Amino acid sequence: MKGKKKTMPKNDLPEEAPIPFEKVPSPSVSDSDSDYEDSSADDDESSVSLDSLSESELEDASPENGSSSDLEAAETESLEAAETESSLDEDIVNGEGSGSEGSDLHQQGAESDSSEDEVAPRNTIGDVPLKWYADEPHIGYDIKGKKIKKKEKQDKLDSFLANVDDSKNWRKIYDEYNDEVVELTKDEIKLVRRLLKNQAPHSDFDPYPDYVDWYKWEDSKHPLSNAPEPKRRFIPSKWEAKKVVEYVRAIRKGTITFDKPKEEDGPYLLWGDDSGSTEKSNHLAYIPAPKQKLPGHDESYNPPLEYIPTQEEINSYQLMFEEDRPKFIPKRFTSMRSIPAYENAMKESFERCLDLYLCPRVRKKRLNIDPEALKPKLPSRKELKPYPTTCYIEYKGHEDAVTSISVEASGQWMASGSSDGTVRVWEVETGRCLRQWDVGEAVSCVSWNPLPDMHILAVSVGQDVLLLNTCLGDEELQNRIKELLWIDSSTASDDSGDKAPSVSWLKDDKHMGLRLRHFKTVTAVEWHRKGDYFSTVMPTGESRAVLIHQLSKKLTQKLPFKLRGLAVRSTFHPSRSIFFVCTKKSVRVYDLLKTKVIKKLDTGLREASSIAVHPGGDNLIVGSKEGKMCWFDMDLSSKPYKILKCHPKDINNVIFHRSYPLFASCSDDCTAYVFHGMVYSDLNQNPLIVPLEILRGHTSSNGRGILDCKFHPRQPWLFTAGADKLIKLYCH
Amino acid sequence: MVKHYRPPGKKKEGNAAKFVIRSQALKQLQISLPLFRKLCILKGVTPREPKKKFKGTHQTYYHVKDIAFLHHEPLVEIHRAIRVHERKIKKAEAKKNLERANRLREKTPKPKIDRIIRQRYPRFVDALGELDDCLTMVHLFAALPASESKKIDVECVHKCRRLAHEWQAFISRTHKLRKTFVSVKGIYYQAEVEGQMITWLTPHSLQQVVTDDVDVVTMLNFLQLYEPLLSFVNFRLYHSINLKYPPILDPRLEALAADLYALSRYVSANTGPSVVNSEASQAESEQLETKQKEAETGKEKSELRLAQLQHQLPSNEPGALMHLVEEVTGEDEEDQNTKECKKLFKNVKFFLSREVPRESLLFVIPAFGGIVSWEGEGAPFGESDQSITHQIVDRETQGHRFLSRDYVQPQWVYDCVNAQIILPTDNYLVGRIPPPHLSPFINYDEEGAYIPDYAKTIKHLQAAAKKDVLPLPGVGNEDLEDPQNLLVEGIKGRAEANDAAQRKQKMMILEQQYHDDLKKELKGVTYTSADSKETSGEVQTGESVVHVEENADDDMGKLMMSRKKRKLLEAMHISNKRKQAQSDLIKQRKKKIDEAKSQRS
Repeated sequence: MKGKKKTMPKNDLPEEAPIPFEKVPSPSVSDSDSDYEDSSADDDESSVSLDSLSESELEDASPENGSSSDLEAAETESLEAAETESSLDEDIVNGEGSGSEGSDLHQQGAESDSSEDEVAPRNTIGDVPLKWYADEPHIGYDIKGKKIKKKEKQDKLDSFLANVDDSKNWRKIYDEYNDEVVELTKDEIKLVRRLLKNQAPHSDFDPYPDYVDWYKWEDSKHPLSNAPEPKRRFIPSKWEAKKVVEYVRAIRKGTITFDKPKEEDGPYLLWGDDSGSTEKSNHLAYIPAPKQKLPGHDESYNPPLEYIPTQEEINSYQLMFEEDRPKFIPKRFTSMRSIPAYENAMKESFERCLDLYLCPRVRKKRLNIDPEALKPKLPSRKELKPYPTTCYIEYKGHEDAVTSISVEASGQWMASGSSDGTVRVWEVETGRCLRQWDVGEAVSCVSWNPLPDMHILAVSVGQDVLLLNTCLGDEELQNRIKELLWIDSSTASDDSGDKAPSVSWLKDDKHMGLRLRHFKTVTAVEWHRKGDYFSTVMPTGESRAVLIHQLSKKLTQKLPFKLRGLAVRSTFHPSRSIFFVCTKKSVRVYDLLKTKVIKKLDTGLREASSIAVHPGGDNLIVGSKEGKMCWFDMDLSSKPYKILKCHPKDINNVIFHRSYPLFASCSDDCTAYVFHGMVYSDLNQNPLIVPLEILRGHTSSNGRGILDCKFHPRQPWLFTAGADKLIKLYCH
Repeated sequence: MVKHYRPPGKKKEGNAAKFVIRSQALKQLQISLPLFRKLCILKGVTPREPKKKFKGTHQTYYHVKDIAFLHHEPLVEIHRAIRVHERKIKKAEAKKNLERANRLREKTPKPKIDRIIRQRYPRFVDALGELDDCLTMVHLFAALPASESKKIDVECVHKCRRLAHEWQAFISRTHKLRKTFVSVKGIYYQAEVEGQMITWLTPHSLQQVVTDDVDVVTMLNFLQLYEPLLSFVNFRLYHSINLKYPPILDPRLEALAADLYALSRYVSANTGPSVVNSEASQAESEQLETKQKEAETGKEKSELRLAQLQHQLPSNEPGALMHLVEEVTGEDEEDQNTKECKKLFKNVKFFLSREVPRESLLFVIPAFGGIVSWEGEGAPFGESDQSITHQIVDRETQGHRFLSRDYVQPQWVYDCVNAQIILPTDNYLVGRIPPPHLSPFINYDEEGAYIPDYAKTIKHLQAAAKKDVLPLPGVGNEDLEDPQNLLVEGIKGRAEANDAAQRKQKMMILEQQYHDDLKKELKGVTYTSADSKETSGEVQTGESVVHVEENADDDMGKLMMSRKKRKLLEAMHISNKRKQAQSDLIKQRKKKIDEAKSQRS
């Protein structure tokens, strides 16, 4: 739009020039008042032509204005036009210098040009014959009603002379109506000339524009059809009538119903008679949602004072984990009107909703029982007496942890080995230290010969096993023992295998005994029940880890089978020629006569530490370093019959009593447990295991507690050797 | 997860055949998750816990049968139809065809819940048993502000309010209310209907705030089930006392409904003879009045809405129906408990001042047979009535004080209701700090439970009141008078009362023993009461010795238990210890408080 507006005045410029002229009200030519004959004729012509021209101009201009489309545009245009006009005026003034009248006239012209004819000319008499004013001194009235006086008529001669002198005289026209002389501009003259030539007054006007055909000639020959109006346009529609009939029939039938005011189907008696409604649905069992917990005193608006936590307690809640923090802190209000709205009401209700539809419902049996009822029914301990309960004697003397003890078959003597490098023999009943050997190295195991008249002590010290004569008993016995422990030459070596000797039998002069030199550290020594054979265990000895020695022949032999795993302990069957080797994970049972593996017991433990065989020979227990104890019933299965987890720390030793149905375990947690372990001769009856007593008293040193425990062979007494340099005797 | 190969012809086995995860279920049902959730809510389908979670532990598992159950559900079809309808409405609106849109909107199919309710609760008792959540939710929504943004429309709130009042009217009218408890969270009520204990929570009569962290849509889904459920339950209950439901009201009443004063007068005029009932009905009308007041105070509510509310008021006027069928309730059917409840406030006339929880008290007091009036228009009797025995006041400032009545705090009413006796009003008088308000839901029989002092006091008072009613044979007249004195003396003579009660208990025991001995004598057994006492003493001492030994046995026994049982035992010990610690903490606090008190005095 803007661009258009700006360009408009430029386009109009040629038109505007003639406009003042055009607007000059028709200078009448009719009356021949003028003294100028020839010129008047000219005038006549021109005036006529002007008249017609003015009309044509008007007609022409109006479409022009119309083409400028809107009023607003027209106004702006007029303003701009006025500006250009004024510049034109100046030109004219300069050119003519005819004074105010010309400019006045031009002003009018400019005004009238601006668009409509409403701008009145100077004279206001209207369209009346001018001859009416011919005799008057005035030509008419101006807008204020004052008379406009006629100009003084120039003398004809003067005027003629003036005309002759004036070269522009031919351009001047006398306007009778306004009684003034108008000078035509060049453009106006051009326009007049074009008119005279019967051309369009404007040079830009194209009399022969290209024809634009607005009508689409698709199928028709003529732009308008002359076909008669079809009949269907003025008769009622048959189809509609049919449809109406259809509707009417449907309404009569009742298939079409009209919108009635919606009636809410309210509640009715849904559960009429409950007796008939007990039929079982074939759906899954429905579990009703648990009811919400009923509020306690603490939720009261006015709880008892003791239910309100103190400020310190409330502060301490902040230190708790978020899950442990109490969700509701009791508050107290002195009156009911001061209770505020509960801010979590909506949230709690929502959470309940979530619980109701998102939580899986499971029927859980809530055990409403006394916790005591869970405990198994065990026979009373009082009925299982005697068993060791209290410490009676302490054997003091060792200067370091007592690692191993052994009780003589008669129960009169007890030997102990310690890591201070001494072996001591004690009198059991008095606690007197009878003898002492200094073996130089830490003792790992001591073991007394099981024969009652063979007072020989086997002691494992580092890589050696010492067989010591304890010098107990009468002379005859002493001689026999000396004979047994005598070896012909100090260099006599075993000839168990053809390979390099694993063990050398040496004479030990210092301790008056024998020394069996092994190639690795010996950890355990165990005698056969007949007192002739004994076995030693070297965990790092690989294929020769477990060796069996014969005292009478001074022979050593290794087990003729492969050991799988690290050997820990070994033991002989109490009545048959069966040998048990305990490795870290399992127990292997060998038949020594058939030289065959009979059984493998899977302990399921991580690291077994000790093994003990029931005097009956069919049951054995294995203690482990994770504090578990497994009871095997070998007739039953190769899996443990019972696993007892009683010690929190390593079990160091387990032991059966030889005659009483007792067994015990000792551990690094400074406790020893005594159990009742009854094995029935009836094979259908499982062994009965009853824990009897926890023996405490030892103190821990270097993280170790009780290192060894042994039963008295005849009495229900238990010896324990602690890492706190003490040996204790617990009696019943 | 290892994917096991299953040959093509072979069916799934085990858990995989029985359960599906949620996304599978959605695929099978061909519905969206929100709709699935809604269906689960309406149908009561919950996830299950399979023994082996074959698709991972983070999944939700549903039983195949549950899903099949949903698959056959007509609700699925209806919801599909609703969706189609919504699309049509949208289209019509887009085309500016408002007429069609409105017509379609009216014709939107509505899911029918009655069949589902019947399916979920085959017996009426089942429905009553699970009414707790329903009532709590309906009461909560009755107190919520209606808001466009939260999709809680006025009609819904209004319906909830009507249903809640209908329920309360029934409970109050049939004296089924048993316990009340004013907690910080709201007021708990417990009623016994057809042998079912129903507990619900009503929020305090203040404007609730709908926070952003709750999903109102889910709650509205629940409400979609609960609203019809409660209306059906109400119908059945009203039917059981021969009342028409929903209440049909007089057109004149309806015309008067704009003026609630006129309404209450009309109601009271109609219910001449039975005062209690008229009171109840007035209570209801009063509830309505308060309701309207609430509505008026709610500033965000537009005038239009208010007008709507007022227009709807008559239809949900439960009080108006109270007088319709009141003689019908067979009084002889009522059990002992109900009779007792009915008699509690028999000779008491209440007047409620301003600033007391009126709505709640107007529900509770008539439920226990009391007569009540309140300050304000439409009250059956004014404050100056001489027959008023108790005026319930919460604020101290008082104008004229009548000497003939007790001015008590509202807590007194609730405590009386819970104790089932008229408590002495001394401690509840205006201006004093009332004794603690105790929860009636606590069972003191549990071992090691802490019993607050006031609970003990109430127990003694109850015992005294019972003896008053049912004197024991053989007890002297002095003893009979004692409890009466107790009541009069109130708490001042509490210590004496305790002594008296203990004495009485002792006497009872002695008496019992005497009777037993007599019987024994009759049977020919020699008199050996002393012997028996001695033996019992021996047993006790013996037990103490045994107890020490058993303690040692504890650890021993544990050794022989299987791991599962041992863990269970340990868990039990831990929970017992926690309980013990809780009660110990309370006892400790109590001790401190007592010490501080004694120091001050």
